[in-house]
Amino acid sequence: MSVTRIEVKDLIVRYGDQVAVNGVSFTVGRGEHLTLLGPSGCGKTTTLRAIAGLEQPSGGSIRIDGQTMYDSTERRSVQTEQRGVSMVFQSYAIWPHMSVFDNVAYGLRVRKQSKADIQTNVERALDLVQMRHLADRGASKLSGGQQQRVALARAIAFSPTVVLFDEPLSNLDAKLRAEMRVELRELQRRLGITAVYVTHDQEEALAISDRVIVMNVGVIEQIGTPEEIYNRPRSRFVADFVGSANLIKGKWTGDDLFLAEGGVTLKVVASHKPHGRETEVAVRTAYIELEPRDGDNQVPGKVRQRLFHGDFVQYVIDSAIGPLIVRRPPINLLEEGAPVTVSFSPEHCVLLEA
Amino acid sequence: MGVLRPRINGQALTTLAVLGIVGFLVLLPMIFLVEESLNVGDPMAFPPVEFGIANYIAIFEEDFKTVWNTLIIAVMATVMAILIGFTLAWILTRTNVPGREKLERLMELPYYMTPLVGALAWAVIAGPKSGFINQMWKAVGGTNDIADIYTHFGIAWVMALFEGTVAFVMISASMKSMDPALEESARVMGASKLRTMLTVTLPLVMPGVMGASLFVFAEMLGSFAAALVLGIPGRIYVITTAIWDSTLAYPPDYGRASAMGLSLFIVMFAMLTLYRRMIRRGTFTTISGKAFRPRPMDMGRMAWVLFSVCALYVALAVVFPIAALLMTSLQRFATVILSQAQWTFANYEVALSLGPVRTALFNSIMLGLGVATVGVVIMSLLVWIIYRSQLRGRGAIEYLVMFPQAVPRLVFGLALLWAWLNIPIGIYGTLWLLALAYFTVMLPLGVRTLAGVVLQIDKSLEECARVCGASWGYQMRTVTLPLLKPGILAAWLLIFMACVRELGASAFLMGPNAKVIAPSIVNAFATSGTELTAAMALIQTFTVIVALVILFRVARGMTKELQ
Repeated sequence: MSVTRIEVKDLIVRYGDQVAVNGVSFTVGRGEHLTLLGPSGCGKTTTLRAIAGLEQPSGGSIRIDGQTMYDSTERRSVQTEQRGVSMVFQSYAIWPHMSVFDNVAYGLRVRKQSKADIQTNVERALDLVQMRHLADRGASKLSGGQQQRVALARAIAFSPTVVLFDEPLSNLDAKLRAEMRVELRELQRRLGITAVYVTHDQEEALAISDRVIVMNVGVIEQIGTPEEIYNRPRSRFVADFVGSANLIKGKWTGDDLFLAEGGVTLKVVASHKPHGRETEVAVRTAYIELEPRDGDNQVPGKVRQRLFHGDFVQYVIDSAIGPLIVRRPPINLLEEGAPVTVSFSPEHCVLLEA
Repeated sequence: MGVLRPRINGQALTTLAVLGIVGFLVLLPMIFLVEESLNVGDPMAFPPVEFGIANYIAIFEEDFKTVWNTLIIAVMATVMAILIGFTLAWILTRTNVPGREKLERLMELPYYMTPLVGALAWAVIAGPKSGFINQMWKAVGGTNDIADIYTHFGIAWVMALFEGTVAFVMISASMKSMDPALEESARVMGASKLRTMLTVTLPLVMPGVMGASLFVFAEMLGSFAAALVLGIPGRIYVITTAIWDSTLAYPPDYGRASAMGLSLFIVMFAMLTLYRRMIRRGTFTTISGKAFRPRPMDMGRMAWVLFSVCALYVALAVVFPIAALLMTSLQRFATVILSQAQWTFANYEVALSLGPVRTALFNSIMLGLGVATVGVVIMSLLVWIIYRSQLRGRGAIEYLVMFPQAVPRLVFGLALLWAWLNIPIGIYGTLWLLALAYFTVMLPLGVRTLAGVVLQIDKSLEECARVCGASWGYQMRTVTLPLLKPGILAAWLLIFMACVRELGASAFLMGPNAKVIAPSIVNAFATSGTELTAAMALIQTFTVIVALVILFRVARGMTKELQ
């Protein structure tokens, strides 16, 4: 992962007078799985399409393996087909007039491989996605999940070093999506593919990525490993969009202290160097205990509401620092109205950038 | 490696070239027409030397009766077309009438029969004296005629039956886009089926109905065939036939014809613009663009009553007209009283052996083949430029290409006639001019059909080919063209059919050495017997039907492949 495969620098993409991507920079290491995460319209798909050469940027540069693919100062833009990247589309883009085999063989035929090589490579790719038995089927007669697999096989069949994924799982139902997530991650590791992956599903992003970039309105909010993003969100947007968090208002009072509304002082950590205008901390709903623990921030409260979700129980606690949402395992259930002591570690009480 | 700068210049050049050629074909004739309409000197002088607006004033002074006829007939035809269209659309989209899908397909047939053939057929059925209805009435003891199609109402009736099908298409589209839950909740609240129809369905589709009325009314103002066949014998002139008539006078009054044509164009253009604005503003989209699974209302025994309503329409617009033409064409003297009939194939023999008729049919088919083939190639290129390229100015190209749609065929034919009479390239009176005219007036039809297919194809199908490493040419050959193939075939057939039945533009551009079939049928109706005319009309219809059958096959194959 030490060698840089893709380098995007100060990328700007405009649609008319709208700026879809506004100065985005990042690198992707060899064999790394990087995910662009954000709500619709945040510029993540546009960034991905710019890497593929399907979108014409108006500024910045894109390099793959040190080669310039796009550079606004050099006025140079390499055609999509010469960039050597591969892509899985959100709509799968399976050609309905070809068989499964022909779909997968397309990239190999373009590269003028011999008949025998094409046969081996297509079979290998179809084996990887467990679709070999359907090789001769017309592509228009596939289910959604099968189309997904064929699209994946087609994207890896010609052994590309970089594969771009544009929300590849968003059209599958929840159960299939969870399965494909596992398979995708395994395949990417096994083949050592460098992957840039776009999704709006934060759970998916955290589960399968080496690093995650959270984007909002055309700019990067935070770059980090899934753990960093989850445990140390930098902004209110990241805390809110990734996972679920309680946002507590107040004032930073120096060092690691935060005076919350209601007059309670909390011990906090910061993912950045505080400058004094911070007014919010975030506490993940999963990191809050409902009994006192030494060394933690402790606040008295009362259970207002209990919602049983099965995999977890969600409580709404009325506390001195305002209402808090708490998710606990579905054991030792508390009754509504019961008095509790809300307790969370300073490590999990993250000061957000103003 | 592409470098950015030269590409932009190439694009500008392409755009300019395309704009220039399309503009030459579409706009130049109209400019000539404007000039001629202001000519108040010698109508044959070119370029005109005296200018004025006398031709326009004359419309209101001398042709007031014509304007009045046009309005009356268009209003009657629109009202009938909308009533028929609404009833059929409601039955076929909102109720469980038996045989729904088959019936829905039959609704398209009157349109393919063409108003010309429809008018001829109804002249046979309901003409005064010798019309079939009157013959039967007299056979059972009646003395006076009870039917006369050569009237304002008769003309409107034929227009509504054969040109009003677009009302059905538009209204049923707006009914299909309505969420059935809106009706169902009315039923749940206790409303009867009729009450639901009147209080929920009707108000919701009203905007769609208004839009359809406007559109159909504009079409009816520019309608030509029915008024030509049924109006002239009874001396009922509408604007289109008056234009036609003033170019036949000696000396031909092109100035007068141009002024009437332009006025008609302006009125139609204004109405179509208004219609488009209504559609675009969104106030007139019914509820949402989402497609809902149709959940028709169960009509119980009433369903068969509704079925017979549909059957009656099919009988009036397809079965009776075809039957009447068949009977007529197979007899020496047309009669509906079978005991007096003298059956013969002579009319077909004459039609197919008579030099001018055979040449006209041959010319029409050759024009259809040629224009469809060349046209589809050029139109595909235009569609690609308009809907898939990033060329600047592609909006202007789209506008130009769609422009002939707003011009009544007949007026466009007149414009082309005047333009090519005065352009010193000798194609006037030849098939080349007809080919050029056909191509120009078919532009909207062809481009719209092809665009429908192109837009259906997800852009990522093409992008994926590029990402896989294919060059533009390879992508076109392996992905885009194979996917477009059924659509291209469909467009080809539609253009072919439209060429074979073309009347409005052909009427002016046909020369003694370049005859085509539709105007020849009109001539035959005016000069020789009904029997021969009927045979010719059926031969033309048969040609169109063969193309139509192939079209349906292609369409079915296409929907299967893309699912």
